[in-house]
Amino acid sequence: MNTTNTTTPTIPTPSFDGYFPTWCPGCGNFGIWAAIKGAFKALNYTPESAAVVFGIGCSGNMNDFLWVDSFHALHGRALPTAIGVKIANHNLPVIAIVGDGDCYGEGGNHFIHACRGNHDITVIVHDNRVYGLTTGQVAPTALKGFKAKSTPAGIIEVPVNPIALALTQGATFIAQGFSGDINHLTDLIVKGVNHKGFSLVNIFQPCVTFNPITSYGWYRERIYKLDQTNHDPKDMTKALTRAMELEEKIPIGIIYDTDRPTYTDSLPQLQNSTLIDTSISTDISGLREEFI
Amino acid sequence: MIDLTIKIGGEAGFGIMTTGLLLGKIATRSGYHAFEYPEYPSLIRGGHNVIEIRISDEKVYSQEKKVDILVCLNKDTYLLHKNEVKEGGIVILDESKVDITKEKISDKNITYINLPLAQIIQEAKLSNVMINNIALGAIVHVAGADFKILEDLITQIFAKKGQEVIDKNVQAAKLGLDHLAQAYAAGYQIKIPRKTEITPRMYVSGNEMIGLAAIAAGCKFYCAYPMTPSSALLHFMAGKAEKHGLVVKHAEDEIAVINMAVGASWAGARSMVGTSGGGFALMVEGVSLAGITETPIVIIMGQRPGPATGMPTWTEQGDLLFIIHAGHGEFPKIVLAPGDAEEAYRLTREAFNFADIYQTPVFIMGDKYIQEGHQSVDEFTITNIQIPGNRGKLLTQDQLISAAGKYQRYALSPDGISPRALPGMKNSLHQSNSYEHREDGHTTEEAGERVDQVNKRNKKLDTFLENHAKLPVIYGSKEAPLTLISWGSMKAPILQAMKDSNYLFNYLHFSYIWPLPKDQLTELLMTFKSTLLVENNSQAQLGQLITMVTGYQIKNKLLKYSGRPIYPEEILEKVKTLQV
Repeated sequence: MNTTNTTTPTIPTPSFDGYFPTWCPGCGNFGIWAAIKGAFKALNYTPESAAVVFGIGCSGNMNDFLWVDSFHALHGRALPTAIGVKIANHNLPVIAIVGDGDCYGEGGNHFIHACRGNHDITVIVHDNRVYGLTTGQVAPTALKGFKAKSTPAGIIEVPVNPIALALTQGATFIAQGFSGDINHLTDLIVKGVNHKGFSLVNIFQPCVTFNPITSYGWYRERIYKLDQTNHDPKDMTKALTRAMELEEKIPIGIIYDTDRPTYTDSLPQLQNSTLIDTSISTDISGLREEFI
Repeated sequence: MIDLTIKIGGEAGFGIMTTGLLLGKIATRSGYHAFEYPEYPSLIRGGHNVIEIRISDEKVYSQEKKVDILVCLNKDTYLLHKNEVKEGGIVILDESKVDITKEKISDKNITYINLPLAQIIQEAKLSNVMINNIALGAIVHVAGADFKILEDLITQIFAKKGQEVIDKNVQAAKLGLDHLAQAYAAGYQIKIPRKTEITPRMYVSGNEMIGLAAIAAGCKFYCAYPMTPSSALLHFMAGKAEKHGLVVKHAEDEIAVINMAVGASWAGARSMVGTSGGGFALMVEGVSLAGITETPIVIIMGQRPGPATGMPTWTEQGDLLFIIHAGHGEFPKIVLAPGDAEEAYRLTREAFNFADIYQTPVFIMGDKYIQEGHQSVDEFTITNIQIPGNRGKLLTQDQLISAAGKYQRYALSPDGISPRALPGMKNSLHQSNSYEHREDGHTTEEAGERVDQVNKRNKKLDTFLENHAKLPVIYGSKEAPLTLISWGSMKAPILQAMKDSNYLFNYLHFSYIWPLPKDQLTELLMTFKSTLLVENNSQAQLGQLITMVTGYQIKNKLLKYSGRPIYPEEILEKVKTLQV
């Protein structure tokens, strides 16, 4: 990103506002940005209450617009970085802000294993079905047949199904939101952060510049809210049925929510202290014995 | 003087490595120095495994080519290694499996000892996996060692498995011992009796020394994906994690490994990863990330022959230049390479301090030879080496509070090192950024800010050279007519050869590999009369590096890249051709 804006924001404010965004006017990222800031306020956070790990992409560029303790990681690798942060300091809420190509393409393997581990992090995925920052190639969530710079004849692959993938790989909280409904999305993010365990918030977000197909209008015609149905997020089979609703009608809300011990809760050595709160001076004289 | 090499061979899966380990421990507990070199193929069952242990009452630096006692747990061992047996040596084998009248070693005055493993197993109704214990009992008899030590070791190893298992194993060892005691009551010339005065020593592998050092240094997070020769380090750390308050994570791949470690380190935990060349290739982008985000990390890089999958269970020093140049973009890194178990301990302890002080990746370059082989070291090495933890410019909460919200993660400073805050600390608000950034951590593409940050990071190398870098060490006489030059694990055969040649040459040992102090190093190199470069690779990588930094060229070279370590005998042969 290019920070043409040279005025450094002064003292951090509870608004969490950093530099002014460089996203295209009308970009779905604005709605996600607003929802994240709203969620942090609702959670009574200060800029040092949580660690945010950003991926690379238009989504990751939020690093300069969101005033929080943060690590701008490598493309595709925000999840392992976030997991490392959590293991080192499991009292600190950890949030990964990533894109669809970032999380489901380059970092797909990490996504699967993060679900399995039930690492207590919240993964906020900007899903616009296209690569914006590299000027318009297909994302792993692109609809089949989508024509873009890297697939001029239309993409052959079917889209990744993030919800079904997370569900089958062991994620314990799975929600889907829409950047065009900020209040609803804010609530999902708050619930995701409050959930103890791996939480995914997959967010549909129009790319007004590179994806003319899945526009605000396209989504508005299709999405419906799960909390206005009899959906039971504790029921995995029902969740899987909702996860298969991909194009005709698309659910937003909490799809799945269950409890399982988190990764750090399963480590006896972390029950009394975080790793960063234990002294580095370690007595190993007792270890001599086994080598004699 | 006692200087004895015992080689044990057999099929993979029959405990050859454990047999060697126990034998080394028997020798160490009896008061001797020991050095072990194992060889095995990359498979689990059926391949040919051998392990050799050199035992001496003087310091023993490396393995040797010739063998005093060859112990054959199968026919292949005899056929493959019979020519390595020394004049007057001993061969222990099951004569029902090998027809020695047809396969005799001629003109060497070899003593053959029949150990009817198959028959003993059958008569005592023991499982086949017991043959290594029978062999150990037999070796104890032949070498005149103390059976009680073996019994103690077996008891210790199987303590968790219960008395029945202990008894079975001791019984098998006793059968081997008794059988030979009856058949060959007269005994042999070669003996390692328990000494009356014993210097207490540990018998450890390089991996174990690295692991001990990491734990002592306060490593709180070790992350790895299994890969020879560093897998044993993962197992060691995992076994110690709960009790010593660290977390060990076997991640999904090496990319995750390094990114998790960078995350854990950014959050404040001393973090280490371990791998080999192929795994490290996957980590390279993460090294670059640690470089620009200025995140401390210790990387254990256990070399083995490449390219690609190469020869997984063999040894080589083929990745030096890869590591020196690893990571896209320009950023500082520190590379260390231990030459023995003690150095492995010392340098790993230092590595954690350097990583924190310089906020950059620090490498320990090992290899299969130094990481998997065991050697005896003074028992108190790990408590005598005192290197207090130094976390560099890591800020305390009080310091941050007095900074009153003006904290900048990448503040410019004369030594290139910026004060570091941890996420979650009050007044810590900052970003660590994989993009080029301004002092506050936010992304920039401004020319001036870019140049300032590159200069700041590069400056850390100068600061290291000024404060912590060490010149290579000279072993032997300063006046020697010939100087051998090498690095890392090749210290072992070179020091052995130097001793065996009665100090005909000296040795310049590089363990601080990068960055190199140009002027001092050039000056030092100019003092040598004649030089020979010794490396376990084909492209003379340290030689290239020395030339790159100083312009000094080493004409004479001994390079070996067969997957095997260099032997002291090969060094002596090469030295002879140089007519010094």
